[in-house]
Amino acid sequence: MPTLRELQHDIARGLIARDAVAAAHVVSDEIAAAARLAVYRNTIVAGLITALRLSYPAVHRLVGAAFFESAAQVFLEAQPPRSACLDDYDPAFADFLDKFAAAAAIPYLAGVARLDWAVSRALHAPDADALDPARLGALDAAEQRRIRFVPHPSVGLVRADHPVDAIWRAVLAQDEAAMAAIDLGDGPVFLLVQRRNGDSEISRLAPATWHLTASLCAGRPLQDAIEAAGDVDAVAVLATHLINGVFTAFAVDEAGGRQPREISL
Amino acid sequence: MPPFAAARTECSPIPARAGVGLRFPHHRAVAETRPDVAWLEVHTENYLGGGTTPAWLDAIRRDYPIACHGVGLSLGSAEDLDRAHLARIGHAVERFAPALVSEHLSWSVAGGRYLADLLPLPMTEEALAVVCRHVDETQNFLRRPILVENPSTYLRYRHSAIPEWEFLAAVADRTGCGILCDVNNIYVSAQNHGWDASAYLAALPPAAIGEIHLAGHTVRRLEGGVTLRIDDHGSRVAPAVWALYAEALGRFGPVPTLIEWDTAIPPLETLVDEARRAQVLLDQAAEKAGHADAA
Repeated sequence: MPTLRELQHDIARGLIARDAVAAAHVVSDEIAAAARLAVYRNTIVAGLITALRLSYPAVHRLVGAAFFESAAQVFLEAQPPRSACLDDYDPAFADFLDKFAAAAAIPYLAGVARLDWAVSRALHAPDADALDPARLGALDAAEQRRIRFVPHPSVGLVRADHPVDAIWRAVLAQDEAAMAAIDLGDGPVFLLVQRRNGDSEISRLAPATWHLTASLCAGRPLQDAIEAAGDVDAVAVLATHLINGVFTAFAVDEAGGRQPREISL
Repeated sequence: MPPFAAARTECSPIPARAGVGLRFPHHRAVAETRPDVAWLEVHTENYLGGGTTPAWLDAIRRDYPIACHGVGLSLGSAEDLDRAHLARIGHAVERFAPALVSEHLSWSVAGGRYLADLLPLPMTEEALAVVCRHVDETQNFLRRPILVENPSTYLRYRHSAIPEWEFLAAVADRTGCGILCDVNNIYVSAQNHGWDASAYLAALPPAAIGEIHLAGHTVRRLEGGVTLRIDDHGSRVAPAVWALYAEALGRFGPVPTLIEWDTAIPPLETLVDEARRAQVLLDQAAEKAGHADAA
C-alpha cells in the first residue's frame, strides 16, 4: 500500500506528464483508470489555460486560441505551477514564450507577453497608500541623498525591442487600421505600468528616465541612482512619480552605508 | 507567524436561507440591484489581491452576509500546508469578516507542484490523520472553526478502506470542524461509484452540518456507452438533486443553502430563481421543524 506522499507524487506525475504509474493506484472497472484520470487532467489543463488567457489577453489575440492552448500545454508540462496563487506563476509564461521555438515567427510576442503580465499584475496587486511627498521635506539634504524608495506593488517596468504598447492597444481594441500603422522599427520602448483609479496605465518613458525609475524601484539609494542614470532631470522625474503614486514608502540609509533606517512602511 | 486576532469588522451570521455564489460578471448587478437572496459566497482565492475586485466585495458585503469558500489550501496533501497561502487566506478573512469559512476534503499540491483541481483522497487512516492535522492547523491559525466540503469524485483508489461518509464524519468529530454538505456532489459521486446517496446523508452528523451546496452537473458519455457524471456547475440543479436536497433538509433541518454556478454563468436572475426554489424547500423544512418543536 503506498503512503499518501507516494500516492500523491505518482498521481501528480500521471496528471502532468501522463505517466502510466498513476493508473496502477486507481480502480479500473467499466471505466478504465486512465479514462478516470483523464477527467482530472482535462480540468487542470483547461483551468490553467483559462488563467493564462486572462493574464495574457493580447498574446491570446495575436496567436489565436489553438496556438495559445498548445503553447500553454507545453508550458504546463515543463513548469507546473507551485502555488494556488496563480498570480505568482504566470510571469514565467512570458519567458517561456521568449524561448518557445514555435513562437519565433513573431519577434515581438514575448514583449507583448511581458506587457500583458505587467498589466495583469498592476490590476491585481495589493492596495497601498501613496507616499506623502511632504514626508521627504522633513529630511536634510544629506539624508535625502540616501533615500531608498519602496515602489507601489502595482508598478511594473517593461523594456521591449518593438513598440509593444502600440501593438497591445491595437490588438485588444481589435483595431486593424492601428495595427497596420505600426512601424516595428519604432523601438525599443521603455514602459512604466501601474494601477491608477482601479485601471491599468501604460506610459512610455525616455530611456534615461526609465533607467532612473528602475534603479529607484529596485531600492537603490537616490544619489547612486541619479549618478548611474546619466543625463536626466531627476527632480522632475521624482516629482512626477510622487504625484502619480509610484512610491508608497521610503527608508534612509545610515551615513556610511549601513542598514537603512526605517522612515515609513 | 502570528494567528489573526478576531475580525476587526462585524459580520452578520448566515441565516438558514438560500444564497448564491457571487462571481465576477455579477459584481455590478449585485451591487446596483441588490437581488433578493439571503447571503453570498465567494471563492476566497479570487479576492486575495488589491484593486477593484476586492473593492466590489468590500461594497457588497455591507448589504449581505458573506461566506468565503477556499479552493487552494489542499487540506489533504501529505506535505505541510502552504503557510504563505494560509496567511493570504487569513488576510482575506480579516478584511471581509465572513460569517463562514470553508475548504474541501481534497488535495491539489504534491512535491510543491499545484494541480489546479480538487483531487480525491485515498480513504485511509493515514489520509484521515493528515486532513485532521491540517484542519486543526487552519482553525488554530484563523482562530475559528471552518467547514469542510465533501468532494465530487470520478475515481477511487485500490487501497481505500474507509467509506467517504465515515471519513468526513470522523474529520468533523476529531477536529470540531463543521461539514459543508454538497448535495450535488453526493449525488454525482453516488452515481459514479454505485453508492447509496440516502445512506451517505444518514451517516453524516446533523449537528455538524453548517451549510449545503447545490449546483448543476452534466452526464458525460464515454467509450463503450458508459456514463460519468461531471460536477461542472454549469446548469440548473437536476431534479434528482432537488429530491435529495429535500431529504437532506428532512434530516438536518433548515441549513444555509448556496446555489453555485461557475461555467457558462447565466444572468443573475437565473441564479436568484434557483435560490428561490431552494427557499421554498427551506420554508417547508422550517415549518416541519416548527411543528416538531410544538408537538
